[in-house]
Amino acid sequence: MKTVDNKIMITYWLATTILFAASIVLVFAWTPVEQTMGVVQKIFYLHLPVAINTFLACLVSFIASVGYLWQRRQVWDDLAVSSAKMAVLLCGIVLLTGMIWGHSAWGVWWTWSPRLTFSLVLWLLYVAYLVIRPSIESRERRALVSAVYGVVAFLDVPLVYLSVKLMPDIHPSSIALSTEMKLTLLACMVPVTLLSVGLIALRFRLQRVESLNSETSSEPAPPTGVRGSFGGLA
Amino acid sequence: MTQVLQQIALVSGKDLRIEARSRQTLGLVVVLGVLIVVVLGLGLGPQQVASGMAATAVLWVAYLFCGVLCFEKTMAVERHDGALAGLMLAPIDRGVIYAGKLLSNLVLMVMLALVVTPVAIVLFGFDLSAAPLGFAAIMAGGFVGFAAIGTLFAAAVSSTRLQGGLLAIVIFPVSLPLVIVSTQMMMRLFGEGEPLGGTGLAVLIAFDAVYLVVSWLVFELILEP
Amino acid sequence: MTAMTSDTVLTTTDAALDTAGLAVQIRGLSKRYDERWVLSDINLSIPTGSYLTLLGANGAGKSTLLHTLAMLNPATSGELMLFGKSANRPSPGLRARIGVIGHQPMLYRDLSVMENLVFFGKLYGVSRPAQRAAELLERVGLADRASSMVKTFSRGMIQRLSIARALMHAPDLMLADEPFSGLDVPSVQAVSELLRELHADGKTVILTNHDVRQSLELAQRVVVLRCGSVVCDRQARHTNPDEVTREVIGS
Repeated sequence: MKTVDNKIMITYWLATTILFAASIVLVFAWTPVEQTMGVVQKIFYLHLPVAINTFLACLVSFIASVGYLWQRRQVWDDLAVSSAKMAVLLCGIVLLTGMIWGHSAWGVWWTWSPRLTFSLVLWLLYVAYLVIRPSIESRERRALVSAVYGVVAFLDVPLVYLSVKLMPDIHPSSIALSTEMKLTLLACMVPVTLLSVGLIALRFRLQRVESLNSETSSEPAPPTGVRGSFGGLA
Repeated sequence: MTQVLQQIALVSGKDLRIEARSRQTLGLVVVLGVLIVVVLGLGLGPQQVASGMAATAVLWVAYLFCGVLCFEKTMAVERHDGALAGLMLAPIDRGVIYAGKLLSNLVLMVMLALVVTPVAIVLFGFDLSAAPLGFAAIMAGGFVGFAAIGTLFAAAVSSTRLQGGLLAIVIFPVSLPLVIVSTQMMMRLFGEGEPLGGTGLAVLIAFDAVYLVVSWLVFELILEP
Repeated sequence: MTAMTSDTVLTTTDAALDTAGLAVQIRGLSKRYDERWVLSDINLSIPTGSYLTLLGANGAGKSTLLHTLAMLNPATSGELMLFGKSANRPSPGLRARIGVIGHQPMLYRDLSVMENLVFFGKLYGVSRPAQRAAELLERVGLADRASSMVKTFSRGMIQRLSIARALMHAPDLMLADEPFSGLDVPSVQAVSELLRELHADGKTVILTNHDVRQSLELAQRVVVLRCGSVVCDRQARHTNPDEVTREVIGS
């Protein structure tokens, strides 16, 4: 069982690495260099897939939060944290790549453009999610507050989007892409998504182990017949 | 329906009576609000202050911090001596408890705003005469959404040690879109002299609706005696 | 929403109708916190008009069971019937028939005694709450303190006041979580006398306690919980305290 598990893991990560390498080759060898921006434009092939994956990670966190509110199972909370951590990481990459882009396009590291603001607010939303958790001691309470926050934060995302629309914009709303560019973009989507999913899964596993270890009582008792857990619970 | 409204008024009236008697929250937040306005005024310096537009941003900072304090205090009233359990045992809908608390918070914030806003307007030389009603409408829209989400999270964290500045960390990021919308609208209204647009106000109302509905739905789950 | 009118609250005839029936019926009730079972497969029938004590060590699940009965804390699985109606989804009508004396007084310390009672009375839709409050204050012996602030009260007075609060809407089922803890001897006597009067009026009284002897003296029936399960269910009369104590400890 363990070895099969390991084999799947190795295959998965090997595939991800190979696809990553392949798409990097595509980005630099195959796609044309953009005329106005130059080589820096290549960062776009990382920027957009990561941005889409940020959204996916937020979505997973939202679903897990709803799951927790519905079933009150620790598993859901573990999944929600793992994906929220991933969302922060990915959104951080989006911010950084966006800033690098902005620096070469407009010559400044930061402008209050709608999209940069959007990424920043999104990042702050999920950073807050992660930093408040350790402050809540009771595990159930922590999971519950996090779940409520996870739901509200995700619903906040479209609101943030609407609100930044009111700001004056200098961001490219649409970029003319050649066919090679589009294909490369698609090719980059695959390894980035694989990487994100893999990292969420790894993180989730670790989180499971941690929360199973921190369980104060013995193994969960079935509802009928068997005497419940040891003392210490009201 | 009238019965529900009566119950909401009852819950909120009790909060306001306690506040009127102890006066601990309002006194605190008014002084804090004025302090924030003064500190920012000093920090920005005469040139920035002269532009006048800084006032709306400064006001938001004051409202955010003071609001969090209000939410925390009105919830602490219920925490003391397990009074919340008394409310939860009563044959009233959980939504009534939420609405009552929300109403108390809104009343406190409006009273706070009535003191702090004039102070900021005077200190920052902000010309309100261009659109006083528009200003009030934007602020009201912002307050409802902010208090809606604040009441929810104050209740969620009230049984934990997550108090003081930490509640702010929960509420601030979630409230950021409100700040963005209302400051953008203020800039258009006062900076560019545009009339209060329908879209901006619609977005603000949409916010309030989303926050209110979500809080109403979730509140039942997070209440703990 | 909450269709509470004063007559559904204050009828004593309701209790009479249920006399033949059961105040509480629990079937296969389990409560899970997280992955731990705090209550497992509880089965209990409590006839109307009983006086029952739940005994058990700290963490045995007494308070959780009481909270579940008060509909503060929904069970994970199993069925809870109160006065013959399902209480798995709490209804305002059922809530109005239950009074709870908690571990904490559930009072506002910055309000006066009268204001507190009137507030809770109005929440329950009691007609003429001020008059009702005055009657109850007379009964618990606090009539002369009606306008004092609750924060000036001693523990014993607060406990008596919280009984008055729980009685405002004349509940048919009184739940009390450790009503004697932290009280001095006269207060214990006053509180136990009040509970005895309630029982004499035909109300159902359920309380948690950890004093075995006291429970056997006061209640008709004792139920011992250990690790979330019922391990002993006896009539109080002719029951040996040592035997019950052994059940509580679990040796």
